[in-house]
Amino acid sequence: MSDVQNTLRDRVRSLLAEGKISCFIGWGPTRFKDRTIPKFANKPEDAGELVYNEHCLSNLAKYALDFQFSAEVAGIAVRGCESRAINRLIADGRLTRSKLYLVGIPCEGMLENGSTAEKCAFCRHRNPVVYDELIGEPVAEQENPPRFEQVLELESASSEDRYDFWQREFAKCIRCYACRNACPACNCMECYTEQYRTGWQGKQANTLENSVFGFTRAYHIGDRCIECGECERVCPMGIPLMKLNRKLVKDVESLFGSEESGLSDDASHALGCYDKEDLEEFM
Amino acid sequence: MARIDAENWEPKILAFCCNWCTYTGADLAGLNRMKYPDNIRIVRVPCSGRVNPQFILRGFQKGYDGVLVCGCHPGDCHYTSGNYFTRRRFLLMKRLLEYAGIETGRFQARWISGAEAAKFRDTVLKVTEEIRALGPNHRMKEADDHE
Amino acid sequence: MELKKENLEKALTALTRLGKVLVPGVVDGVKKFVPYAAGADIDLDMVNTTLPPKDVLFPQTQKMYRFTTGPDAAFEEISDAEEQILFGARPCDAQSIDCLDKVFLSGEYTDAYYADKRGKLTIVAAACAKAAPTCFCRSMGVDPGGAPNADLLLAPTAGGWNLHCQSDKGKAVLEALSGLLEDADGQALPPAQPELVVDMAPVAEKISTMFEHPIWDELHRPCIGCGTCTFVCPTCYCFEMGPEMHGAEGTEMRYWDSCMFSEYTRMAGGHNPRPSAKERLRNRYLHKLSYFVERYGQTLCVGCGRCVEKCPANLDISRAIEMIGEAKTE
Repeated sequence: MSDVQNTLRDRVRSLLAEGKISCFIGWGPTRFKDRTIPKFANKPEDAGELVYNEHCLSNLAKYALDFQFSAEVAGIAVRGCESRAINRLIADGRLTRSKLYLVGIPCEGMLENGSTAEKCAFCRHRNPVVYDELIGEPVAEQENPPRFEQVLELESASSEDRYDFWQREFAKCIRCYACRNACPACNCMECYTEQYRTGWQGKQANTLENSVFGFTRAYHIGDRCIECGECERVCPMGIPLMKLNRKLVKDVESLFGSEESGLSDDASHALGCYDKEDLEEFM
Repeated sequence: MARIDAENWEPKILAFCCNWCTYTGADLAGLNRMKYPDNIRIVRVPCSGRVNPQFILRGFQKGYDGVLVCGCHPGDCHYTSGNYFTRRRFLLMKRLLEYAGIETGRFQARWISGAEAAKFRDTVLKVTEEIRALGPNHRMKEADDHE
Repeated sequence: MELKKENLEKALTALTRLGKVLVPGVVDGVKKFVPYAAGADIDLDMVNTTLPPKDVLFPQTQKMYRFTTGPDAAFEEISDAEEQILFGARPCDAQSIDCLDKVFLSGEYTDAYYADKRGKLTIVAAACAKAAPTCFCRSMGVDPGGAPNADLLLAPTAGGWNLHCQSDKGKAVLEALSGLLEDADGQALPPAQPELVVDMAPVAEKISTMFEHPIWDELHRPCIGCGTCTFVCPTCYCFEMGPEMHGAEGTEMRYWDSCMFSEYTRMAGGHNPRPSAKERLRNRYLHKLSYFVERYGQTLCVGCGRCVEKCPANLDISRAIEMIGEAKTE
């Protein structure tokens, strides 16, 4: 990984020096060995502070929104998850491809507390799906990781057990909205929870309102979730949010035959279109 | 207000009806003096595509025992394609609700045209009986003591 | 006097006679203060709970009063304060309660809901013999070996805790524990020495002049604008009020708000004086390190490290303190 880090630093240094990009979004060090922080390199000499190691857990794509109104080109490091997030943001009309310079990094998974991070365990796209240049050689993809295993397990529980499961999980929610803010698919200019006095979402942090938020958010991103697992990673209360999102991903795939979200920057998504031959259950 | 208890409980069902088909169908049922249970509360919407899936959650929160969404038959939408979107939306929402622990049958959707007064009556009868069998809904419901 | 570890459960059971006993425990994977019940998953060895004890005095959602609107308008106050014993709060937690006391109880206006709960709270603090990597209490003037505002202090020994009574409420606790304590003190363990040390001195000197400093232009950039730091913070006390309505009846509530949320300062008409993460993060740090100091003579950061531990982007207030200290000012 230190090779990748060195190449990354060299490339970013040149890109900034040549004026091809105005800023580069990567990872930087913290005082803790096992943590990194999103790092913004503005000048060629900042490139030396970039870090790439197995602790680069943050998905950087959403920081590209900081440059959405900028005339300059922003550079960003993209692994599989970031590249799909970038595609998602372009498809949702929030970013412009020509104003991004994507430095691809094939990724073999990150570490969390010494073992493979939960968010990387079911990854099917370790290599970036879009990039302008690639650092290092493509890596082998995981073959059919059992990404829906947990969903199937919960589906087989009784209705009452499912209800109790989610109510117990959402009882922990503190409504910090870290899940929403970290999510590349949650990119609305204004979230429904922020709409003042519309009554969509009660602000009281009780299990019911928390779960209404949880289910609503899951539904809102259900057909656009790129399965990067950021929501679950950032949740300070450890709520298994991907177990909810993957349920929708699974249903969208099986009901509408959609491909995984974020593989291209094509604007279509399952609930934004229809097929006359869709399953008929309501006759 | 009289307390609602196990003896006098009646299912309360929220029904979103499309203005152009189902609402007209319901009207026709009335004109034909068809009898159907008064357990449903109809909300007229311009199109079943107007029904935001959050309305369904809101219905359960506010104490409905069941929610029904009705629109024109696919292909007959007044706005050409509204109900095709509705269909996708609620195929997904129905599954999410069940996954969240809302019992199967609490949420239902039906296509009922303006001419199908009998289908409207039969649907209301059937849905009411199904929800009556499920009993009062306590899941995703705000506490009874308004807290 | 020493309380042996093997007598802890008995002691907690004895204390339940005085009120609701809250102890550090783990519920569904979340470390927080939980009401003690026999067999509960309690853990007095954990350095810090993930959720701070502020919820005990200042609940995330506090029901204030019920009301009816219309011709028969009526109010009914809700008072849910009860005798509570916060057992095993850390010195930083105790210090955070001191900060909250300053906010809610000092000055012209006393907050009735807080005062009610505070009057019925007994703090049994547990000094720290070990520190987490994110702890920096000493740098913020908190002594991990003491808790001046606690009613009773537990100083760790090899096999339990030595008890130091610090108030009348503490005496009541000691009486309740009679028969469970050893007369002699045990060999006390030395207080923790957090490895993370930052220097507040240069910050105190210049921070009040740094509102327009370019340091804020970069510091905020990793911030994703969530409320994690403020909600796991033991001293953040911002709240918002609003009713939950059911027809003509309603309940007025106040709930935690976060200065990191974009709508926190949004005004009627849409103007937002803190339009971006830069202004919001600056406000949070300045409130902790400058404004509160000006008002009450102490920082609003107690060095517990919870925000450092939980920030999704790994922002670190201790690093910010260093950067502010190193920053060049005119």
